[in-house]
Amino acid sequence: MELFFKRKGRRGFRRGAGSPTVREATLRGKRSLTVGFLTLVFTASFAPAQTNNIHERLENAATLIRENRIAEAEQRLNSILKLAPNEARALNLLGTVRAQQGRLNDAENLLTRAAKIDPAAVAVHMNLAFLYLLKKAPEKAISELKEVVSLEPHNIEANYKLARLLLSRGQTDETISVIEKMNSTPPASAVFLTLLGDAYFRKGNADKAEENYLLALAAQKNNAEAVLGLARVSQNRGDTKATLAYLSQARELAGNSPELLYKVGVAALGIGVWDDARLDLEQAVKLKPDEPGFLIALGAAWLKKPDLFAAEPIFRRALEIQPANAQAQMYLGYVLYKQKKLAEAKSYLEKSIRADSSAPEPFYYVGLIVQEENEDQRAVALLEKAIEVSPSFAQAHVALGASYLKLKDYPRAQRELEQGAKLNPDDSKAHYQLAVLYARLKDPQRAQAEMEIVEKLKTLEQSQKREGDTFVVMPAVPNPR
Amino acid sequence: MDLPRSGWKNYYQNLLKFIWHSLISVVGTFTYYYYRHLKLALALSSLIVNLPLITSAQAAKPYATFAEVPASKSGITWVHNNAHSSERYLPETVGAGCAFLDYDNDGWMDIYLVNSGPSDFYTPGTPLKNALYHNNHDGTFTDVTDKAGVAGGTFGMGVAVGDYDGDGWVDVYVTSYGRNILYHNNGNGRFTDVTDEAGVAAPGWSTCAVWFDYDNDGKLDLFVSSFVVYEKSLNILCTDETLSRRYYCVPRLFKPRASHLFHNDGNGKFTDVSKESGIADSPGKSFGAVATDVNNDGLMDLFVANDTMPNFLFINKGGGKFEEVGLAAGVAFSENGKPRSGMGVDAADYDGDGWQDLFVANIDREFFSLYHNQKDLTFTDEPGEIGTATQMLSGWGLRFFDYDNDGDPDLLLVNGHPDDFIEMRTTRVKYKEPLLMFENTGHAFKNVSAQSGAVFSKEFSGRGMATGDFDNDGDLDVLISNNGGPPLLLRNEGGNRNNWLGLHLVATKSNPAAVGAVITWQAGGVKRSRLKTAGGSYLASHDPRELLGLGPAKRIDSVEIRWPSGKVDKLTNPPINTYLKVIEGEGIARTSLTTAK
Repeated sequence: MELFFKRKGRRGFRRGAGSPTVREATLRGKRSLTVGFLTLVFTASFAPAQTNNIHERLENAATLIRENRIAEAEQRLNSILKLAPNEARALNLLGTVRAQQGRLNDAENLLTRAAKIDPAAVAVHMNLAFLYLLKKAPEKAISELKEVVSLEPHNIEANYKLARLLLSRGQTDETISVIEKMNSTPPASAVFLTLLGDAYFRKGNADKAEENYLLALAAQKNNAEAVLGLARVSQNRGDTKATLAYLSQARELAGNSPELLYKVGVAALGIGVWDDARLDLEQAVKLKPDEPGFLIALGAAWLKKPDLFAAEPIFRRALEIQPANAQAQMYLGYVLYKQKKLAEAKSYLEKSIRADSSAPEPFYYVGLIVQEENEDQRAVALLEKAIEVSPSFAQAHVALGASYLKLKDYPRAQRELEQGAKLNPDDSKAHYQLAVLYARLKDPQRAQAEMEIVEKLKTLEQSQKREGDTFVVMPAVPNPR
Repeated sequence: MDLPRSGWKNYYQNLLKFIWHSLISVVGTFTYYYYRHLKLALALSSLIVNLPLITSAQAAKPYATFAEVPASKSGITWVHNNAHSSERYLPETVGAGCAFLDYDNDGWMDIYLVNSGPSDFYTPGTPLKNALYHNNHDGTFTDVTDKAGVAGGTFGMGVAVGDYDGDGWVDVYVTSYGRNILYHNNGNGRFTDVTDEAGVAAPGWSTCAVWFDYDNDGKLDLFVSSFVVYEKSLNILCTDETLSRRYYCVPRLFKPRASHLFHNDGNGKFTDVSKESGIADSPGKSFGAVATDVNNDGLMDLFVANDTMPNFLFINKGGGKFEEVGLAAGVAFSENGKPRSGMGVDAADYDGDGWQDLFVANIDREFFSLYHNQKDLTFTDEPGEIGTATQMLSGWGLRFFDYDNDGDPDLLLVNGHPDDFIEMRTTRVKYKEPLLMFENTGHAFKNVSAQSGAVFSKEFSGRGMATGDFDNDGDLDVLISNNGGPPLLLRNEGGNRNNWLGLHLVATKSNPAAVGAVITWQAGGVKRSRLKTAGGSYLASHDPRELLGLGPAKRIDSVEIRWPSGKVDKLTNPPINTYLKVIEGEGIARTSLTTAK
């Protein structure tokens, strides 16, 4: 199945037949732990058994994991480790079990022990990389993937995942470097060419992006993602006609592939073709109804309509499938907040914070809720937290300013509101709150000036478009199958 | 090379960022009881009959309810004609108003209803009339419109009732699209149109009117809300993309007009002081208006709702001047600086902190606002449960009143979307909408609509709403005017399970309506205070008597009335569960109006 296993490591474990990976084990578990974009296909591969007995017992444990008979697998692995405490393969497998149980620290201990015992075990490093993504430690994941690449320079999966992770973190030059090394060994793969196009696009080089998308298409004519890349380039150039044409082409190529339909739908959302986007995403959801990422994107499409009431059950469905999905919790919290169902909204947003405190938006929205509940001191703390996570979060500055305004702390209110307006000059709320502030400070001229900006923004219909500049999130990319 | 690819991470991030960019902005309900004839509840001018003992079963009932009184019982057969046309002239959709008033001083609330009429865009097939219904003291009413001479004849909007000449008989001011009418009460069951002599015609398009005494000279002045600049020729074509269906235009498309403030000169004449008072400096698209004292300086201020424009808070600076401070006060716009579609308004001190709070109803998706007074001429919007309940509703008539006599003001909201085609454009909003009842929990409001009677599960095209105790049983009943339909009379069932005291304030030096009087009372160890406001709701006028809720307290410890003139009357050991007439400077009248349940 996965290329990784076709290219075993120098000293890497050979994958035992039917051996589960951390990803497989985790996804099969009730407590799905989605990592987002990484297509993690790690393995607990087996090196030649030290003894046939141990090898067989390891195979047996792996089978049990596959069959979700975790307790039995754990028993087997513990008994192996009792006999052979330094059996790296057993430690690796037990690490996957712990990951499935959500005991991520225990999993890390086991896997790092395995890595120490056998530093050249590619599978262990891959599992560690996956684990660190689960633990929201992308730097460590990158480090492990680099370890894999140093062990196996041509490990396609590791290189691909490394490049994607680097790109997700905005490290475009490193991304390009990784991919070009891979592409130096012809034939260049369409997959890497597309990713290279993505990297150049992210870097702001639309021409190079286009060039690579076209190369990817030359290498693989039905490469829908390359076509979507071209749509993106066209959109970037303001060529709506070409954008829509590429989008249509991508839709045709997507056929009945839910993943591709999802991508086309998200692309259509970006272009502003809301109804088309919704249809694509509804089709993707129809084809794969239990994919939280698809549902979240569909919910987002309804929000664009806008129809909070249609979006709400979709986010709820995503959470039925994956109760701990921080993104779905955040979106549902947002929808409920907009309906003024403050208590329930707060509950979901706080869950989202507990699941992922690295996103500023849940702090912001809980801040807005407690602000509405007249707990402005608490609001200040939450909004400051949102700003700490994302200093350039304009809306958080504005909301913080509004809280200071309510608390009659006019100097701080002015500072935060002006900062918000500076970060996002098109934020009508910032200018309105400044107008209120200046009016209270008996400065009618400045108040008037700010209201004129508010009025102008409305005239330009910019206000509504900019008002929602809060989320820097994306629908979770569906789990790869 | 079949690697599963998800190389769109960055793109998705940007896209979702984009999607969310637009989101936050987008995201810019009385069991029917037949009226039981209260034949024993007569207006006996000197008899005080106390409330019978409350049974434990009654006491256990959590809320008062409201019951529809059908036309077959009340005798109120009049129906509002909204002049609905395919041209969708805007005045068609905003009327009309209603009032509880005691025009014949018999101690029972009569009813006045406003109708449409001839205008530059409408010629009725048959003459349309406003209606005056005399209260027969038995739950029935008799149409005395023609006899009284108050049929109107204009394209009527609202009604404001007040004794402008202090002769002891309430007069009636009818606002219109066109010429307003001031009916002087002759004291013999008949009225005379004195509009021209008084100088209060205020042509154009008037909506709400408020009688109050802005300069504390003891006479009732008149504020008249002006809506947009409008005439038949200015009607804009507002239609769907196919041009096949015409909608009512959003008022944003029309120009604003300055409202009117008329000073009562005391000789039956009024002087338009709109300009010199500063009221005319703020042209608006005004609907609801309420006179209240938001800064406790003894001068009545004005809170005015505007449609698609910022609301106005006119602070009475004394000397006949007003200053508009809505922006600084934080009551003009939504939190994002967006003007909303303000329609109904009211004011009350809902949390008992001694400061007047404000309420304004808006159109669907805009949320209604409950502005809590921060005691420094700033307000914070704290709608609580009201926000959730009203998200998809459009509010008109509304009123803070103590429906269950527990002492604090509760809140009734009357709703209805202005466009009868709205359901063709969205599935989330209806043309007819439910009423909502909110119980005051001390510092917030709880939605008790579901427990307040079967009428709350029905839907109406509600507009005006007035409160008044039409059956004199010691709890406030409700009158609702529906656009293009019959009015809705709701009798309060059970509000009088708690004890009460009704006060009919009769001024001698202060303005006749005692607007601005502060009533403080203590019962059961709880001290409460109420400012007598004026106006409020939408196109409506209310029972002028003040019902003081005592809760379960079986006696009232003290009652103090601080009149606008500065005089203070203290009532010693007043009876409860009765209406008392209190005369400024004299206390309880020897022939006090008294009724029983």
